[in-house]
Amino acid sequence: MIVPTLLGLAIVIGYPVVRTFLLSFVKYNFVSVAGPKPVGAANYAHLLNDPIFWQALQNTAVYTFGSVAIAMAIGAALALLTEDLPDWLRHVRTLLLTPWAVPFIVVAFLFRYMFDQRVGIVNTLLVNLHLVGSQVPWLNSASRAMPTVMAANIWTQTPFFFLIFTSALAAIPTEVLESAQLDRARGWSMIRFIKLPFMRGGALVAGLLMVIANFNDFAKIWAMTQGGPGYATTTLVVYVYRLAFTSYRFGYSAAIGVVWLTLLILFAVLYIRLMQQGGRR
Amino acid sequence: MSAATAPRPARRRRDRIRYRSTLTRVVTTVLLILALAWALAPIYWMVATSFKTEFEATQLNPSLWPHHFTLANYGKLVGHSLPFLSFVGNSLLTASATALVTVAFSIFSGYSLSRGAYRLRGVIGYLILIVRMLPLVVLIAPLYLLLLKASLLDSYAGLIIGYTSFALPFGAWMTKNFMDAVPSEIEGAALVDGCSRVQVLMRVVLPLVLPGILTTAAFVFIDSWNNLIYPLTFINTMSRQTLPAGLLLSFTGQFKTDWGGMMAASFVTTIPLMAAFFAVQRSIVSGLTAGALSGE
Repeated sequence: MIVPTLLGLAIVIGYPVVRTFLLSFVKYNFVSVAGPKPVGAANYAHLLNDPIFWQALQNTAVYTFGSVAIAMAIGAALALLTEDLPDWLRHVRTLLLTPWAVPFIVVAFLFRYMFDQRVGIVNTLLVNLHLVGSQVPWLNSASRAMPTVMAANIWTQTPFFFLIFTSALAAIPTEVLESAQLDRARGWSMIRFIKLPFMRGGALVAGLLMVIANFNDFAKIWAMTQGGPGYATTTLVVYVYRLAFTSYRFGYSAAIGVVWLTLLILFAVLYIRLMQQGGRR
Repeated sequence: MSAATAPRPARRRRDRIRYRSTLTRVVTTVLLILALAWALAPIYWMVATSFKTEFEATQLNPSLWPHHFTLANYGKLVGHSLPFLSFVGNSLLTASATALVTVAFSIFSGYSLSRGAYRLRGVIGYLILIVRMLPLVVLIAPLYLLLLKASLLDSYAGLIIGYTSFALPFGAWMTKNFMDAVPSEIEGAALVDGCSRVQVLMRVVLPLVLPGILTTAAFVFIDSWNNLIYPLTFINTMSRQTLPAGLLLSFTGQFKTDWGGMMAASFVTTIPLMAAFFAVQRSIVSGLTAGALSGE
């Protein structure tokens, strides 16, 4: 029964992976008449001396881990906050989930508008509250573009963590909570010693899923900045896309793809190790 | 302080607890309001702006709600220059087709991964999980060349194949998990009655996991609806473009600062996704908490 799926995957995934690997050893400009030319490891050597590659790697790390850490913290706080809501306030939870249902392209447009230098509501608020003297360039500024894109990303991602943590909290056995109460645990100590440990498993799984999602995120960054200004928000996805489909350097972009694939698999293996250790403890 | 006015220790303590709980309540309420504002304000802003005139939307001090309510931004979408309705149709078509194809394959492969008695089952399971983590963009150049050879570039079929490539591993894995929760004893009786495996799957297992299947389909639909990189690369005819790519291409050129139009288009793009999301929201939660509830 699994054969059709495996066959399908072999064609649409297996073949491209092998092809990527092979492409990484050739010089192949898609639009030029010359076909692929074998160059050995030249693409990989070039990679080491490519400052944009290193910047993209750094941007990817900042974007991925920064977004996940902040979204996870906010999600956990919201889950704890809404844990004991009275029944008539239950819908608050659903409302807090809505950003999740907003398409990425819309998130990008929305934040582009809100953070627009001239007409954006964010600058209007900041200026009217006298927090800044004049309108701040957000997406046009090399140093502020990344935090702005991350803000958009965190906004869409928080509900996912919120949902995971809410169900983790609901899964804490009542006996545990009752005996903790008998031991006079309340407030912060209740959260720190009883609830947070129960949220750990969910945090690890959800964290891994979102790290992978952010690693591969293209839509939000491309629609907000196209990787600019300069290379300030160019992550590996954006860089590979630019190389392959605006300069048509398929060979070189494939080499970056292979390096990146290796990094991702290494990360996943480390992570699974960590998870198994956490489970044993 | 004299001993006479000092409250007895027990009393003081109860006071402190009550004080803390009122404070906690106030802080909780304030935080809750802030949280709601954080989640909903951007959405409100999108809807409000979409009903404003162009002049009102680009004022230096924007109004909080539309003072001159207008539907012009929505009129523009169905009017001339933008093939907006084609975008909507293309997105609906490709995302639904992807969800259908993925679910059809996933039902069988999920069942096999969950119940199969062959040696490679575990390995294949993990392989599928790893495939799920592959970066789309790494696969896109070879996939492009593949579609080029098969003359499927700039076609719906090519796009659906691309979407399915990332949806299928996810679908198979989700379906497997849902089917794992069905006790295999239920199937025993049907097998004894002489049903084949496929019949058991269709008549016994499938009805039980239907909510899970629908959740999977909704997730796949949402993922495809959000995908920007595939349509941007594989489609070059504007009228065959999907919503994300079509909107991006439209609102970077001449309409770059048409904020009202942009927000109207955004709102229309959001509605189908929200419908899909809230249709399965309950079963996402119950799917995630299934283990916990059965323990009670």
